[in-house]
Amino acid sequence: MSNSHDPYVLDSGARIAVIGGGPTGSFFSIFALKMARMLGKDLEITIFEPKDFAKDGPGGCNRCGGIISELLVQTLAIEGINLPDSVVRKGINSYRLHTEHGSAFIATPALEKTIATVYRGGGPKGIMGDNLESFDRFLLSQAVEGGAVHQPVRVDSIEWKDGKPVLFSKKSEMMQADLVIGAFGVNSTAGKLFHELGFGYHEPSTVTAAIAEISMGEEKVAEYFGNSINLFLLPDKGIKFAAMIPKGSYVTLCILGSKLDGEVVRNFLSRPMVKAVLPGEGTYSVPCSCLPKMNIGAPKVPFTDRIAMGGDAGSTRLFKDGLGAAYLMGKAMAKTAVFEGAGKEHFQRGYYPVYKSIIHDNLFGSVLYFVIDQYRSFDVLTRAMLRTVELEQGRSHDTTKILSSILWDMFTGNERYKNVFMKSMKPKMHINMWEGLFKSLFRGGSP
Amino acid sequence: MKEGELGRTYASGEIIFSEGEKGEVMYVIQAGKVNIMKNTPSGELTLATLDSGDIFGEMALFDKMPRSATAKALGNARILSIDKKKLFSTISHDPTLVFKMLETMSKRIRLLNEELSKLKKTKSALVNLCCDVDEVCSMILEEARKTVQADNGSVMLVNDDSALAITAAFGKKSEQRVLMKSGHGIAGDVLRTGRAEMVNNVSMDARFVQGKVQIRSMLCVPLKCNNNILGVINMSNTSERMFGMDDLKAISNIAMYAAIAVQNAVNLANLKNAAEEVLKHAAIVG
Repeated sequence: MSNSHDPYVLDSGARIAVIGGGPTGSFFSIFALKMARMLGKDLEITIFEPKDFAKDGPGGCNRCGGIISELLVQTLAIEGINLPDSVVRKGINSYRLHTEHGSAFIATPALEKTIATVYRGGGPKGIMGDNLESFDRFLLSQAVEGGAVHQPVRVDSIEWKDGKPVLFSKKSEMMQADLVIGAFGVNSTAGKLFHELGFGYHEPSTVTAAIAEISMGEEKVAEYFGNSINLFLLPDKGIKFAAMIPKGSYVTLCILGSKLDGEVVRNFLSRPMVKAVLPGEGTYSVPCSCLPKMNIGAPKVPFTDRIAMGGDAGSTRLFKDGLGAAYLMGKAMAKTAVFEGAGKEHFQRGYYPVYKSIIHDNLFGSVLYFVIDQYRSFDVLTRAMLRTVELEQGRSHDTTKILSSILWDMFTGNERYKNVFMKSMKPKMHINMWEGLFKSLFRGGSP
Repeated sequence: MKEGELGRTYASGEIIFSEGEKGEVMYVIQAGKVNIMKNTPSGELTLATLDSGDIFGEMALFDKMPRSATAKALGNARILSIDKKKLFSTISHDPTLVFKMLETMSKRIRLLNEELSKLKKTKSALVNLCCDVDEVCSMILEEARKTVQADNGSVMLVNDDSALAITAAFGKKSEQRVLMKSGHGIAGDVLRTGRAEMVNNVSMDARFVQGKVQIRSMLCVPLKCNNNILGVINMSNTSERMFGMDDLKAISNIAMYAAIAVQNAVNLANLKNAAEEVLKHAAIVG
């Protein structure tokens, strides 16, 4: 229990520095300011973010697939953060699952558009108009409206002075803080600053993903993709899965796997099953692609006295819903800082359970991805899976549609992996799968 | 409204949920407006008009009672639904999620308290004190005048010929002898449909019948009791002042109790007449 003698309790006038103005930093700032106001406290929050999220092209890009899960869209709406039309590039109401043996269509009830696709930065060069805005810029502006100050400078060193961290940029002292929040991405160099402070923080382990923007014009995107994300489960060892995410006049291609190189996008697009989804060659182009890092292993020590790390600098959800994890951690850090304090003990009590729950949940995620790996690797299992989904989608009276809902929750990031895992243990799921397996074998050919 | 954004688009007038239904989902308005309406003995009453960012339908999730009102799109409205199971599961992980909902509910309770105190005053004035029909109509008009700013106003009651006749009025010289049949003029149309109307440019309304007074805008609300329309309350402006949804809502609220008061006064008058007849017969027989 915090009390007035605790030196780490943040009272009115306390100064908080947030390094990184992406979703974790903005969520932290939005909630910390709201909660502090509820208690009648006046906190001073400065967000250090040199990147201009309004700028299109690589300069403002945050290298991300840009899917906001159904759960996060709904949670933000309850929080009073409604995503404006200028931020949402496409409302998604369905997934098309493609395998070597056919495709399946999984949709939301009543085809309500519950998932948002966004650009984290300004998007590909030339697409930013007056009425379009990036997700990161929108959140940052919400934080600034709430009372945070945005400093467009890069913090390049942190030192301790009288028990408090002091931030420097180009050798000039920027501020001495009562709390520093590390909310930078894995592609940033800021991790080194915290590693050098020597409290045990190590940058997260990563894998390489491939992201490309496919330009084809708004009409073609609407015609070929509608309001669906196309998901590819291929038998290739190197590619875990790939997704094509419609966004206005572009489609973002995200490939997750191991040992991805500069050729992976070209090779992927040349596959017949991928070509079948796209308009004819020559009607689209790939103006940009990159190989960003993805966090797959959380640092063991994410906080100490007056310092806490979150988002990609901490733990995030395995392969999915990084923005959902940013929300969870940003808010958990804010709750701890405002209601408890900025000490190590406070973060251990208030923040660590949330941080740990994401790591714990990812264990279930690993098991589920292993199972999906088996399904995509073996023809008979792939066929059985497709047949089961097809049967479920055809049964209007079956409201559970258990395998469809498992796949939906897995690939939309709509549920915690643990809940998806528990759902997959239900006998009905196995009865449906056996039925699908039997029917696919009986039919022999494609499902 | 452009396609491709979040939620589902409801067409103008489309019902999102109905009073009495089981509530499994709450809603957040992404774009457009939604009317929250309730069926009363005096007809359908608009309780609130909600805007973009507002939440609704949460009460039935928390008190597990059937929906207390009907939600209807006012113009095209895009709505995001939030499933009860998912909502409670999220709240169980993060109870602070209800802060925003509590804030919304507190604001609503505050507004309801204000409206309730206004209504209590109106109710006690109208239901308890008056027994004469003309006196009741004058009081109704006085209450309406205090609540909504208007240049002119009248209470019209249905007479024995099923036409509307002015019983009480204020403002520019009213044409006391005006009679309006059902379907004739805006008031006659409200008598026919039983639906309250707000017309802010009467010259554009084909139903409007121009009298001596140059009216620019008007509110017309039925006095409905047990599905029987007793008359209407009219409020009008000769100036350029326009009426708003809040004005319509306020007059509709007054009309709810006013209709009961008028019905009571009419019943009492009928009873008095009947008693006098009986006494007259008794005297003759005696």
